[in-house]
Amino acid sequence: MTKKNAALLAAVGLIMIIGAYTGGLIGNGRTAEIQTLSVRGSTTVLPIVQLAAEKYMDLHANVNIQISGGGSSVGAKSAGEGTVDIGMASRELKETERSEYPTLNPIAIARDGIALIVHPSSSVSTLTVEEVKGIYDGTYTSWSELGGEDVRIVVVGRDSASGTREFFWEYIMKKEDFVQGMLEKNSNGAVKQTISQTPGAIGYVGLGYIDSTVKALNIRVGNQEVEPTTENVKSGLYPISRSLYILVDGEPEGLARDFIDFILSDEGQSIVEEEGFVPV
Amino acid sequence: MAAEIKNPFQGTGGRRIVERGIERSLLISGTVAVIVVFFIILYLFRDAYPAFRNIGLGKILTGMKWNPAGEPPSYGAYPLIVGTVLVTLGAMAFSIPLGIGSAIFISEISPSRLKTGFKFLTELLSGIPSVVYGFFGLVIMTNWLRIAFDQPTGESWLAGSILLGIMALPTIISVSEDAISSVPTDYKEASLAVGATRWQTIRRVVVPSALSGITAAIILGMGRAIGETMAVMMVTGNAAILPEPIMNVFSPIRTITGTLGIEMGEVAAGSSHYHALFALAVILFIIVLLVNSSALFILMKLSERFRPSGKKSLFQIPKIVAPLLKKVLWGAVALLVVYYAYVRGGTRGGLEAVVLLAFSLALLTFLARKSSPRQGQKIVFSAISGSMAVVMVLLGVILYYIVVKGIPAISWDFLTQPPRDLGRAGGIFPAIMGTLYLIGGAMLIAIPPGVGAGIYLSEYAREGKITRLIRAGIDNLNGTPSIVFGLFGFAFLVLYLDLGISLLAGMITLGFMVLPTIVRTTEEAVKSVPQSMREASLAVGATKWQTIRRVVVPPAAPGVITGVILSVGRAAGETAPIIFTAVVFSQRFLPHSPMEPVMALPYHLFVLTTSVPDSLHNAYGTALVLLIVVLMIYAAATVIRLRYRRTVRR
Repeated sequence: MTKKNAALLAAVGLIMIIGAYTGGLIGNGRTAEIQTLSVRGSTTVLPIVQLAAEKYMDLHANVNIQISGGGSSVGAKSAGEGTVDIGMASRELKETERSEYPTLNPIAIARDGIALIVHPSSSVSTLTVEEVKGIYDGTYTSWSELGGEDVRIVVVGRDSASGTREFFWEYIMKKEDFVQGMLEKNSNGAVKQTISQTPGAIGYVGLGYIDSTVKALNIRVGNQEVEPTTENVKSGLYPISRSLYILVDGEPEGLARDFIDFILSDEGQSIVEEEGFVPV
Repeated sequence: MAAEIKNPFQGTGGRRIVERGIERSLLISGTVAVIVVFFIILYLFRDAYPAFRNIGLGKILTGMKWNPAGEPPSYGAYPLIVGTVLVTLGAMAFSIPLGIGSAIFISEISPSRLKTGFKFLTELLSGIPSVVYGFFGLVIMTNWLRIAFDQPTGESWLAGSILLGIMALPTIISVSEDAISSVPTDYKEASLAVGATRWQTIRRVVVPSALSGITAAIILGMGRAIGETMAVMMVTGNAAILPEPIMNVFSPIRTITGTLGIEMGEVAAGSSHYHALFALAVILFIIVLLVNSSALFILMKLSERFRPSGKKSLFQIPKIVAPLLKKVLWGAVALLVVYYAYVRGGTRGGLEAVVLLAFSLALLTFLARKSSPRQGQKIVFSAISGSMAVVMVLLGVILYYIVVKGIPAISWDFLTQPPRDLGRAGGIFPAIMGTLYLIGGAMLIAIPPGVGAGIYLSEYAREGKITRLIRAGIDNLNGTPSIVFGLFGFAFLVLYLDLGISLLAGMITLGFMVLPTIVRTTEEAVKSVPQSMREASLAVGATKWQTIRRVVVPPAAPGVITGVILSVGRAAGETAPIIFTAVVFSQRFLPHSPMEPVMALPYHLFVLTTSVPDSLHNAYGTALVLLIVVLMIYAAATVIRLRYRRTVRR
């Protein structure tokens, strides 16, 4: 009895697995001439490329674009070593990367503002770049020091492989260390998630991630309070901004070329705008 | 079963060659399993060595700052090691009383009809994938903690400890329940016969007799907690700092596993950061090795103890150690309380909480002492039943949230369509298929050498130093954190063998991960076949292989299949081993060669939760589907095992 039942179960399991495989193989057989493009890198650039890829794949049924995150460093390394076709980076190439992969070719596809976001309940709505640095290096620990309530500041940042962090560290922190108690999140979405749930928290994300669950802070430049909007990034008024790149080894060819052209086309750039970035 | 033994015909020359060939091939599969085990260990050390050489072991162990992106980078792992230890201790503080209470409840108090039910529910808790725990923790629990304790953030040491405590519970409950159940009934009957109450019997006879088993359960649970990656990484806030003050459970904290999970996929291979991460993995590996070895040692002693031929001296060890251990433990608790009160004295609530806790403990002890044995038993039994109730409530809450919020997301399209709009819309079909591919491949890779090695170890290998070494190696690999396998897969398969991030690399990594489980469960199942059956078969002239094939393997098959299915369940729910080796964020088609990457359910859930805003709806749906897939696999294993038990009893 037992033996038969066990054997039966094993057989069913095996058939299921085999079925799954052959199902996949038959399915693939039908579309054998599928062309594949692999993309990897910055999670900031990922939404643009992902949505562009979805549109592109709708137009070209035989194209499979595989996208994964990992951060700008991984994007540069993967594209430089040829493990992927296209890399994504939310910063310029570092010196070390340029010397290691001399043929790596960054193509700017959008501009991005970095917004400081706080919990919607916060009464603080404007900071200067220096104050932001003060928060992230631990000079300020309570919002009362910046004109807000007496609430402890919960500093939220990105993990060490993030291009956004790299940019923030160079541009805002002037390469000084972050305060030690900073919560480290491994993506823009995770930062936003935490900020939206945590009164007293501050974090930085790309403009595309701003929505009603968080409050984006204005940056005071001189006497002017500049809102983090695409217009202000485009006009150069908003001070914390950078270019987003996709990286290819040498001159892109074939499918890669076509896909990049699509991103740079009006249709692609409208995706850029929809996601809250600034077209180039 | 005996009816199926047919008298096999003689041993001619051809037979002998077959026999020899089979023994050889079993030996080879055993060797493959062992080589894999040691190769993984070797490879880890190889890639960690440059870090130890360039940075220095001392600096890594005692350095106070982990900042690999700084200028210059610093690789001080001290806060990470302390973080790992603190999170684990917190988890244990919470899961040891609950777990042991539940184990006593299941084996001694609950009506025997309900025992299987409680056991099954406990095992359900262990079937929930770690990324689902993390999802629950991040989306629901951290928010509760933040509001309940009025803290700036719920992502903290406490959140990590609670989650890990829940995850360690099934191990603690089932291993200590086994230990308690295996106390000979004579002991209990003798105690009850001289007029002791049930509680007195449990406390003075049953628990002391099962003490080493319970200790092993605790240590194994601890090993599980230390090695956990995904859940911890999602809820602890990951700030590489020491809590300030050190007992501040609301401080964010970062563990070794969390660091590996966050940084490994984003590090340039060959850089000093890369080697530093391998050094971390080696440190983690050694910590887990020490913890698990001590559990194995205790379990070994335990099994010797209840064997009639057990040496007398073994009985003496606990007797001498127990009171001493008790004193040391109480001393440590007292010291901790004083220290805590002193350090936290000034801060709000710290002292009061300690005083309250001490007072209520004292009151409870006092009540139990003063009242009649019967009343005492009532109080204690309700506390024990309470701990079981807490475990059931925890399970209920987690399942409730996932099921209730997951069901609205599930539709035909959700199950059959690729994701759209970063996974906010569309379905999870490629992820479901990817997970099936991964576990299917992992099984193809792990079952032949695993089962072969198990049979070889049980039937052919002579007990000796080498066999013991092999078994120890396999046991230790069994407890090795899954992220360590992920690291190995990334370094060796993806980079060194240049498989790239691919289905194949993921299959091999998962296969290696479940290999030790398959070897050991096969060995145990085969060993449990009574020796007399083998002897009967050999006596009527069957060869060794005929005996194994016709007599030994059939009754052992359900045990082997259970082990295999449990490994499938584990492989299906794991995220850490595939995150660097096999998965992509999204793709529309299924892979058409093993060299292509796949989507997978656990990773998809992880990405939706941490990286895609406004995708909660589909995240719940994915969590539910993953849960259903894994639990179905576990349920199949349970059914087979229950049937098997029934036939054995008959």
